[in-house]
Amino acid sequence: MSGAALALEHLSLRLGRFELRDIDLALSPGEILVLLGPNGAGKSVTLETVAGFHRLEAGRIRLGGRDITDLAPEHRRISLLFQNFALFPHLTVAGNVALALRAARRRVNGTVTALLERFAVAELADCLPETLSPGEKQRAALARALAAAPELFLFDEPFSALDGPTRAGLRDRLKQFLRESGITAVFVTHDHAEALALGDTLALLRAGAIVQRGPAVAVYRRPETVFAARFLGVENILEACFAGSEDGLSLVAIGETQLRAEARASIDARRPLSLGIRAEDVVLSRGEGAGDAANRLGATVTAVAEGGALTRVTLDCGFPLTAALPRREALALAPQPGMRVCAEIEPAAVQLLG
Amino acid sequence: MLRLALSQTPEALARVAAMGDVRHAILLSLEAALITALFSGLLGVPLAYLLARARFPGKAVVAAAVDLPLAVPHTVAGIALLFVLGRQGIIGAPALALFGLSFWGTLAGIVAAMLFVSIPYTVNAARIGFEAVDPRLEMTARSMGLGPWSVLRHITLPLARRGIITGLTLSYARAISEFGAVIILAYRPMTAPVMIYEFFLRFGLDDAAAMSVLLLAISLLLFILLRALAFGRLAAPGAGR
Repeated sequence: MSGAALALEHLSLRLGRFELRDIDLALSPGEILVLLGPNGAGKSVTLETVAGFHRLEAGRIRLGGRDITDLAPEHRRISLLFQNFALFPHLTVAGNVALALRAARRRVNGTVTALLERFAVAELADCLPETLSPGEKQRAALARALAAAPELFLFDEPFSALDGPTRAGLRDRLKQFLRESGITAVFVTHDHAEALALGDTLALLRAGAIVQRGPAVAVYRRPETVFAARFLGVENILEACFAGSEDGLSLVAIGETQLRAEARASIDARRPLSLGIRAEDVVLSRGEGAGDAANRLGATVTAVAEGGALTRVTLDCGFPLTAALPRREALALAPQPGMRVCAEIEPAAVQLLG
Repeated sequence: MLRLALSQTPEALARVAAMGDVRHAILLSLEAALITALFSGLLGVPLAYLLARARFPGKAVVAAAVDLPLAVPHTVAGIALLFVLGRQGIIGAPALALFGLSFWGTLAGIVAAMLFVSIPYTVNAARIGFEAVDPRLEMTARSMGLGPWSVLRHITLPLARRGIITGLTLSYARAISEFGAVIILAYRPMTAPVMIYEFFLRFGLDDAAAMSVLLLAISLLLFILLRALAFGRLAAPGAGR
């Protein structure tokens, strides 16, 4: 694992009834990893373990070549940032930064004033955290975190208490800051859109173990299991059977209907399998379709739900299917319950799930 | 209380206040209660922290035991203390032999009785104070490079101080008012509640009522002052540092 900024080597631990099993990850310098998963999957525990708050049963943690497995949290040079950025409520902004500077005596990273100015919070030096806006809190917390000159940033759902627009704005600014500073970071979130926006790589956790990991976009496009597909926002998950191969594509049958899907080597042909189809990958047009090579299906609209940017259309094409249409397309098609339409799904958009 | 206070003429109060014994008893009560509050803090606050943060077997038993003095009649508490702290008690005997410390009819005895019945208030209020401190703030501080003691000093204690001060104030108040346990362990030197009881038995209601009102007035003033000190000026922003 040489050259890795952070290496988690087969981490295992037990906390009451919860278990973390064989967490194995490596980050290159400047990489942003997102740990994604439902509540109770072990994301926060993993983060707290890296920060040094839980004793491992097995495994090693290396940070920039140093073995930090047995170091106390205050000696790891890792900055942990929580929801709302956890500024100390009884200290002013300057007090928060000053405490961090004092704690980091031997590796002081500038002065309070310099840090506050760098993050444009100098005029808030004497304010208490409760009076700050979310953006100001984030900047003050970053100033405080940098005071200790950490080698790694860990973020535990930093935006979870914020409303949508504020959240997106802060997220983009934080990512820009991390990029420009070349900081290696790990984020924890249960929001796949946030994971995609922040992460270079994704690790999907379930019940204390990693179920899938890889480049963020690849994981999003190619979930490998039903769990991963559901969690990454795939709305259509269908039971199917393998029905052969044709022209390098897999044929799968859902009841009477056959669909073509991009082949995947690891699929066991004898077992029933599941298909995942993103609602936004279903293209609707007027007219009839007939299960041909292009996956064009005849369908009846059963329900239409306005959802702002996307309109959700529920279809019956021998099996239930949901399509999400961008606003323009929805206006052009004007779907109504009972209407006959043609639903088209590219073979590449049909995911075979293990 | 108000009815009692209004029943007294200034002359009656002045006459009682002029008695040397009365002044001495009230001062002794205040002094013993202050020492009690001090010990409540030294023993009760760490215990409160453990109950709020640590996980250990028998925690529920310890928590229940802390509340026990609140549930038993204080005469019973005094008799129980006498068994432990008396001349032949398991603490009383070695204390007397090693340090010449006797709990029988001494200030130490008064403090012991007061502490036993008043420490639950400190433990419970401070525990609530500690439990209200978000552990994530402490984790953040640790990851910034602060050791466990620094975190306690700079983060946990300042954030829990409201609960701690409330607890100490309550313990102090409870200590001043303690009668049952004190009278069994140390009838003399006489604290104010004991002397009021004696006045009542020897001289009747009038003198006892006058001294009661005097004690009430002094206690009231004291607590107004304490609260102002703790939550007024000192609780101003940034004062926690």
